[in-house]
Amino acid sequence: SAADRVYKLKMAETWSSNFPIFGDAPRNMARIAESMSNGRLKITIDSSNKHKAPLGIFDMVRSGQYDMGHSASYYWKGKVPNTLYFTTMPFGMTTPEQYGWFYHGGGMELMQKTYQPLGLESYPGGNTGNQMGGWFQKEINGLEDLKGLKMRIPGFAGEVLAKLGAKPTNIASGELYTALERRTIDALEWVGPSLDLRMGFHKIAPYYYTGWHEPATELQFLVNARAMKKLPEDLREILRVSMKLASYDMYIQSYHESAENWVTMKTEYPNVEVKTFPKEVLAAMKKANDELLAEKAAADPLAKEILDSQAEYMEKVRVWTNISDRAYLDSIDSLDK
Amino acid sequence: MIGIIMFFVALVMLLLGFPVAFTFGGIALIFGVFAEGFDMFAFMPFRIQSYMENTVMMAVPLFIFMGIVLQKTRLAEQLLEAMGKLFGGVRGGLAISTILVGALLAASTGVVGASVVAMGLISLPVMLKYNYSKSLACGTICASGTLGQIIPPSIILIILGDVLGIPVGDLFQASLVPGLVLIGCYIAYILVLTYLKPEMAPAMPQDVDDETRAQQIRSALKAIIPPLALVLVVLGSIFTGIATPTESSALGGVGALILALIYGQFSWKMVYDSGLETVKVTAMVFAILMGATAFSMAFSYTGGDYIVEEALLNLPGEKWGFIILAMVAILILGFFIDFVEIAFIIVPILAPVAEALGINMVWFAILIAMNLQTSFLTPPFGFSLFYLKGVAPSSVRTNHIYKGVMPFILIQVLVLASIMIFPAWYGMG
Amino acid sequence: MLLVNLEKAIGRFSNALGTISAILFVLLLFNVFYDVLMRYVFNDVSIGMQELEWHLYAAVFLLGIPYGLQHGGHVRVDVIYENLSIKGKAWVDLFGCIFLLLPFTLLVGYYGIGFAQESYALGETSGDPGGLSHRWIIKAVIPFAFFSMAISGLGMMIRSINVLRGVSTDGFSHPPIQH
Ligand code: NA
Ligand code: NA
Repeated sequence: SAADRVYKLKMAETWSSNFPIFGDAPRNMARIAESMSNGRLKITIDSSNKHKAPLGIFDMVRSGQYDMGHSASYYWKGKVPNTLYFTTMPFGMTTPEQYGWFYHGGGMELMQKTYQPLGLESYPGGNTGNQMGGWFQKEINGLEDLKGLKMRIPGFAGEVLAKLGAKPTNIASGELYTALERRTIDALEWVGPSLDLRMGFHKIAPYYYTGWHEPATELQFLVNARAMKKLPEDLREILRVSMKLASYDMYIQSYHESAENWVTMKTEYPNVEVKTFPKEVLAAMKKANDELLAEKAAADPLAKEILDSQAEYMEKVRVWTNISDRAYLDSIDSLDK
Repeated sequence: MIGIIMFFVALVMLLLGFPVAFTFGGIALIFGVFAEGFDMFAFMPFRIQSYMENTVMMAVPLFIFMGIVLQKTRLAEQLLEAMGKLFGGVRGGLAISTILVGALLAASTGVVGASVVAMGLISLPVMLKYNYSKSLACGTICASGTLGQIIPPSIILIILGDVLGIPVGDLFQASLVPGLVLIGCYIAYILVLTYLKPEMAPAMPQDVDDETRAQQIRSALKAIIPPLALVLVVLGSIFTGIATPTESSALGGVGALILALIYGQFSWKMVYDSGLETVKVTAMVFAILMGATAFSMAFSYTGGDYIVEEALLNLPGEKWGFIILAMVAILILGFFIDFVEIAFIIVPILAPVAEALGINMVWFAILIAMNLQTSFLTPPFGFSLFYLKGVAPSSVRTNHIYKGVMPFILIQVLVLASIMIFPAWYGMG
Repeated sequence: MLLVNLEKAIGRFSNALGTISAILFVLLLFNVFYDVLMRYVFNDVSIGMQELEWHLYAAVFLLGIPYGLQHGGHVRVDVIYENLSIKGKAWVDLFGCIFLLLPFTLLVGYYGIGFAQESYALGETSGDPGGLSHRWIIKAVIPFAFFSMAISGLGMMIRSINVLRGVSTDGFSHPPIQH
């Protein structure tokens, strides 16, 4: 009978097979879904080692070669520009704020509005928390220091920096370490302590800048709409709940790993200096960011709708962040001094 | 099960002599379609694209071009002959020079296809000209061209770093001594062999009558300095951060053209001809990769990866038993599967076990890298063997190459064993 | 006569691909050199130029494969093959083309069309600042190259048939790469 039929879904992930944290989210999701459905929903996961197309997830899920994917929405910016806005934005919301936007502030609806015409459904897929601004060989004391700065920083954040005279540079990820060590490039951004530790950048670059460009990087579960339709309604609900739960779990895990790894880095290399960009630099970045976003909003009505929704929500939610978490931390901090 | 049958069918079909690349591709199609249907091949464009966007592989055509220009302008020949003469009456001088040049190339690229082909173009004709045994010449070239795997920068170490979560820099550092030991062992082998069997590698004829030793050295240096300077520029550009290792191979190509200009041998026709030959050799390398990726796709999507996983998960849960059997398993799989596949399919299965047993992961990674390096040399599917065959004159048969690499495989296994037993010698205690 | 002429026409087609590929390679060489020079000496980086590198490199190896087929540049395990008569070799090539090469290249070429079409339909561009647009062009090189391989393979097949019919002995004693 339909009630004990087993449904099998094939999922492809962008990550390689034992990539920590990012790869834990889809596995966690599959495990939860299988046990909640009493074995009726089985999800197998193929890593990039097997399918060889880390950035082919969008196409493979769309064409139905895979039923689902685990990746990040901003990777599809070159294919469908509006997918950019569902990962994180420079100077945008923090993780809890952004989850508020997704689940209660209209974010999910806008994300489906973007993906539906493509035959896809998109769901939050786990958050890295605030990403670091990157590893720098030289200090950034003013706007002058950004001019000609060769930095590996892909995507939209690279566009922002390019506007200020920096030189975003492509380097194959296997050559990044050597390129930074030998100063072929001056700086690079990766993720944060949770994943930077295994790259070893702390051994070769003295400055670790705090974040500005990816305050709340949300990964993505991508589902082929036809595959979703084939599931009975109860399994669909189980799938949605599993994705939601696994996503939030990843955020917590990432937060924890970052804390742990930061201690390790600091013990191994006590001279690593954490720095924040000077106010003048951040202000110029924000201005460049706002100009670029205004261009995008002017060019496309859906982009405008998404950006307006994010801006409005952030204005509202930030007030609460300020009088809750920020006020709490500030008040506690002043006690220690 | 299908995966295993596929291997044996491929083995038999390869022996027929149809081009390797399309034998792999065709067999993949027959088995893949039989087991999974045509749609499996919808993955192929993605797999091809991953090669297209893999800029590290750009070093293959660029290095080959440098090799071809150096060979066309006879600069490489002069370099090797001069080095051979410097070794004076020492037999095997050319082979030793080949190993040393191979080591220098290895230090500037991590792509085996690039260095084996370049070495094949540069030094095979010279060794044959001086009546070296074909199999010794081929073995030396395959082995020294494959050094690029263990001497940093190296693709396999980059991949292993990624898969095992170890900083690439740590692996590069740890692989240096094993790489040097390997070079030393190769040279020692040549010396011993030529002592025992002088006819395999005759000493360079010495023109004692018209030149004093001092004059000889002077003219040797004159021949050595330009091409050596080129190699040093390539290496230097990496160490000073002017270029990434991949980009340095383009500097090598342009540098070779500049040398040709200096020696009055430059013409646009020469550039075009070298380009056309580069295309032919590059196509040979990449056709094999395209065929191999189809083959491994059919292997893993018909359940082959689960068979391998099952077998590996049943390895003993005690340190030495685990290490030895893991190494044997990798060595045997290396007879059949490409190292990239091994690094991606097998290493992730072994890594958690190794970690749980408290094994030093850097050491473990170096062992795997050494082992995978051997997989480039093992018949029948050793990629270095295919690459060399692709650029060898027709008088060199597959058999010469198979026979020639055997002693070098043995040396690698011995060095591997010494790293296993005496990690402290290699700074990994 | 028809088959002999067809064989020659296919040969010209494959050679043209070799010429294009060789020119693209020389462009690649100077492209990479230029990028290094600009970055190191003038501290200037263009992502577009950097992306052009892999576009050129991909086209070089993809278009080179059919050219290599025409010139016998692809590696064979010759333990048995070397000792076969010319007709024996022709049988191996005929068999290989029909059962291995043609099905493989045609199938990959077929799926390559959809792959490139998808990119065209979405107007895919690079996601990086200053990157190249019209991504479908380089993706379309995949089906083009694989269909070209099929055409070169057809040439190889006709060559074998001509040998078996006894009208030609061409194409089975390729000069090795020049030394
Ligand atoms: Na990042
Ligand atoms: Na190397």
